[in-house]
Amino acid sequence: MIFLNLWSLFAWYLRPFIKWFFRKTTRLCELQRICYGDKAGAARTCNVEKSLMLSRTQSVKEVISFLDATVSEHRFIPENFRDILEPSISIIVRVKKINAKLHTPFITSFRRCLEQIWSYRSLMNDVENLRRTQFDSNNPLHEEKLLKLWSLLVPDTPLENRITKQWQYIGFQGDDPKTDFRGMGMLGLENLLFFATEYPEVSSHVLSHSCHPLYGYTFAIVGINITSMAYYLLKDGSAKTYMFNTKQYLPTINLFHRFYCYLFFEFDKMWIESKPENIMEFSIIFKKFENAVRNELADPASVFRINIEIDTI
Amino acid sequence: MRTHVPNFQGLLNILRKLRSHPEKELRLLLLGLDNAGKTTLLKQLASEDVTHVTPTAGFNIKSVLSNGFKLNVWDIGGQRKIRPYWRNYFENTDILIYVVDCSDHQRLEETSLELAELLQDDKLRGVPLLVYANKQDLATALPASEVAQDLGLHLIRDRTWQIQACVATDGTGVKEGMEWVCKNIPVKK
Repeated sequence: MIFLNLWSLFAWYLRPFIKWFFRKTTRLCELQRICYGDKAGAARTCNVEKSLMLSRTQSVKEVISFLDATVSEHRFIPENFRDILEPSISIIVRVKKINAKLHTPFITSFRRCLEQIWSYRSLMNDVENLRRTQFDSNNPLHEEKLLKLWSLLVPDTPLENRITKQWQYIGFQGDDPKTDFRGMGMLGLENLLFFATEYPEVSSHVLSHSCHPLYGYTFAIVGINITSMAYYLLKDGSAKTYMFNTKQYLPTINLFHRFYCYLFFEFDKMWIESKPENIMEFSIIFKKFENAVRNELADPASVFRINIEIDTI
Repeated sequence: MRTHVPNFQGLLNILRKLRSHPEKELRLLLLGLDNAGKTTLLKQLASEDVTHVTPTAGFNIKSVLSNGFKLNVWDIGGQRKIRPYWRNYFENTDILIYVVDCSDHQRLEETSLELAELLQDDKLRGVPLLVYANKQDLATALPASEVAQDLGLHLIRDRTWQIQACVATDGTGVKEGMEWVCKNIPVKK
């Protein structure tokens, strides 16, 4: 602990000299070295973020708090990117004395990093808001979503009643799912709904596993526990690897849903492979699964996608 | 020199105490229907954040230090599908804690049937029972005395029992229940 404190004190005083040394020898500032040297994706974006957050330059600090403010005002959305990012980038280019004409590849890649970093922060807000919204059976919109979940997962059997034991088929605890969302609120329902809507084959494949006579589990309840896991991975920053390595999407609520679907699919695979004796092994296998996911996310080079193989269990 | 003697004695006393009283470990079993508040209670006992609770698939276990005891608290999922597995956790239980959602009038009968079945089990014979009458903050919650009536607690003859009104989400009444637990620890055979 003392060693760590000493080291951080040392690093704090040494950093400017190291930066100055590299700047003189490479004629590039730290941000340029990152954008040119690190692989696009999590490696680059996380290092840019680290460099910006460590900056002691007043104008850089101001740019950061300006961008943070756009996030808390819910303005950091693609339509506004031009208006928000142009001035921010030009301030940094000026402060860092970068020749913008000479370094257009830097500008492009730096802009992408900014988009990713502050979209992620914006996403954390959106996810928190959804989580705080309790499922309310007096809200017709919430009810509609719940019923839609049923019809997507079990298209051939209509619900006999709003309150019915049938809900247990898709893994809710009792005859009314409303008390099952608890601390995850609407986020839990939205996650499940996205899974059933966007990945109909995968979700019905996973649902069929959950009904397995030997290795069955409670689909919806496990789903809500996976929501909780995805939420914590987002909050502590571990999910950046996943979010920043996805080339075609920025971190938005839909990408969070995709992350959830990936986790659900992978958990199901691990569960079935573990051949658990009964549902009471859930806590152990779930912990094992979380550790495996965290290990994978710790490597910035990890790329994630759902690989469906035909299996016969 | 004189001033050092009492200190040294004090240290010896502590060492002696450590040797002759190894920390007493107790096994507490938390049961009740789903959505009764078992996991929230568990988190409250461990002083953890209670706002992010999810339904329990399987079980949770936490160790809590309280009044010089190490309490190993087992929180088992309450949904009907899981209830047949409750029995696997009965062995060596020191205290049974049963949690009731007092605002769930519809399932009061179901919860009292489950409790009656637990109390008949051989493995839980004589184990002291603490009932937490939870969710007292809700307007529709029945008072603890009424819940005790419905559960038929006054008919229990073969063990000590207590009912404690509580609000697991903010901790009201939880401490009082645990104090009763620590006073009623059965002497191990």
